[in-house]
Amino acid sequence: MNGAAQGASVDWAALSPLLALAGGALVVLMVGLFPGRGVRDRVVPGLALLTLAVTAGLLVWQYDTSTDLLEGALRVDGLTVTLSFVFVVAGMATVVMTWRHLDPVESPGPELYTLLLSSIGGMVVLVAAQDLVTLFLGFELLSIPLYVLCAIQLRRRGSLESGLKYLVVGSVGSATLVYGFALIYGAAGTTGFAGIAEAISGDLSSDVLLLAGLALAIVGFAFKASVAPFHQWTPDVYEGAPTPITAFMATATKAAALGVLLRFLDVALLPAAEAWAPAVAVLAAVTIVVGNVGALGQSSLKRLLAWSGVAQAGYLLAGVVVGTSLGVQATVFYLAVYLLMNMAAFAVIAARERETNLGDSVDALAGLGTSRPWLAWPMTIAMLALAGFPLTAGFIGKFKLIEASVASGYTWVGLMIVIGSMISLAYYLKVIAAMWMREAPAGAAAVAATGPRPALAGASTEAQITAPTRHTRRGTGELTVMAVLFGAATLVVGIVPQPLLDFAAKAGEAFPGLF
Amino acid sequence: MAIEWYLALSALIFVIGAGGVLTRRNPLVLLLCVELMLNAGNLALVAFNRMHGGGDGQIFALMVMVVAACEVVIGLGIIVALYRRHLPIDVDEMRELQG
Repeated sequence: MNGAAQGASVDWAALSPLLALAGGALVVLMVGLFPGRGVRDRVVPGLALLTLAVTAGLLVWQYDTSTDLLEGALRVDGLTVTLSFVFVVAGMATVVMTWRHLDPVESPGPELYTLLLSSIGGMVVLVAAQDLVTLFLGFELLSIPLYVLCAIQLRRRGSLESGLKYLVVGSVGSATLVYGFALIYGAAGTTGFAGIAEAISGDLSSDVLLLAGLALAIVGFAFKASVAPFHQWTPDVYEGAPTPITAFMATATKAAALGVLLRFLDVALLPAAEAWAPAVAVLAAVTIVVGNVGALGQSSLKRLLAWSGVAQAGYLLAGVVVGTSLGVQATVFYLAVYLLMNMAAFAVIAARERETNLGDSVDALAGLGTSRPWLAWPMTIAMLALAGFPLTAGFIGKFKLIEASVASGYTWVGLMIVIGSMISLAYYLKVIAAMWMREAPAGAAAVAATGPRPALAGASTEAQITAPTRHTRRGTGELTVMAVLFGAATLVVGIVPQPLLDFAAKAGEAFPGLF
Repeated sequence: MAIEWYLALSALIFVIGAGGVLTRRNPLVLLLCVELMLNAGNLALVAFNRMHGGGDGQIFALMVMVVAACEVVIGLGIIVALYRRHLPIDVDEMRELQG
């Protein structure tokens, strides 16, 4: 293992999931150069899926690892491993959704999958980072491919606009983060998390430089996690990006941003907790209110889920604020559950985008209960779970977050979660009502015959699974399967939550300083 | 010179950059302003490195430069794509996505 002839010894085994992602990204890019439709349509997505599967396998292998890597730059422990599973599952779902989703004319070939894999690699670096420099590099490795992915439909104005907006706002966020890190480095004299924690526990906890740096760094993270009042980009970017990419951003990016906040605040800045915890608690409360109120008037499903994602970021922050291992467990559990619920919803949205000409409007779901029950049920479950209905995974997730808040004296944040959930029912139930209580509009069921890509609705899904090579946007078979799988998982976790709770508890064990 | 001067200069540059991002409308200028903000961070990092000794801050500053270059490349790419579609290069005109 530790066979490096010179320089630092490297624990290749613990590093292997990251190496697999990086290697897979390169292989996908190179294989994509081979000519032929078959390569681009089937081999490249297949290789991307294979890379993610190998990464998942390596993560299972490293499940119990808890070690520092590369001179303490990275740390592979419970938090890294559990959140990496979330990223890998989100990546797999995104590959499945992207396949056949984009126009053949502008089919972006292998770049899309390479960018996706690099972004996942960035997320792994980010949640594993134990040093300000590594953290920043992970942050950018996650963000920069995402800017391109948002703008990947070069012929669609909304996609370009979404990419540019995300780029500008994201860069401002990272610049703020760098400035905050510079001040923290100035106050502590080191960039390692352990060194910073040591310096703070001395006499720095009320140092002006440190507090200013802390505030700027939290603002930088808040941009990425779409925490109010730094969330304004979220609805626009989510609406304009291609739907599979939106799904990826909503689930994986959120998990990465919250994961890094957990490690940064609960390891490096734990001794200064009395300085940041009240501020973050207020941010959480504001985010819950802003997100839920913003979602009320939306008629676009992607915008609605973007606002709901803002609100959920507020719920998740509650688990960060409390600074206990129960809080870490609740946050990681909710992130995993959030992935399940959101992926089910986005699979349905993507399917309806292909079947109707209504895009991501709520109208596209009208009458779905009678015409496509296999899509309507997962969507219903996802919406109920996002609202926190009992018997769904969302309920258990919110319950754990509230439990963690109350146990640490943040009862008022727990109350905010409850109030936020009550408001959120208004817009989640609107979606459910559209599916089960409205008639399908005449133009929507018999699908758009306009444009170069005719789609077919109501046809048997089996027939299309057997003919996936047709370069049209017809097929929704894999999306139906995906929606049903994620919807079923949401229900199962809601009824039998213990295995996933144990999984999330691994993340909580990663923080020795917490109790 | 005392570290305060360097910090004051870097804070000034950061504020100029942030102000520019908020008020300017041309995406090219927005990218320039973001560069100002990033380089304000670099200045602070290098100044602190001088104060603390060691090399951490300087290495961090080098990394930030590389990342800043990557961001600008992506930004320019998107702006060129907008230009090729004859879309207005003005962020106030980007109103396709709202609601």
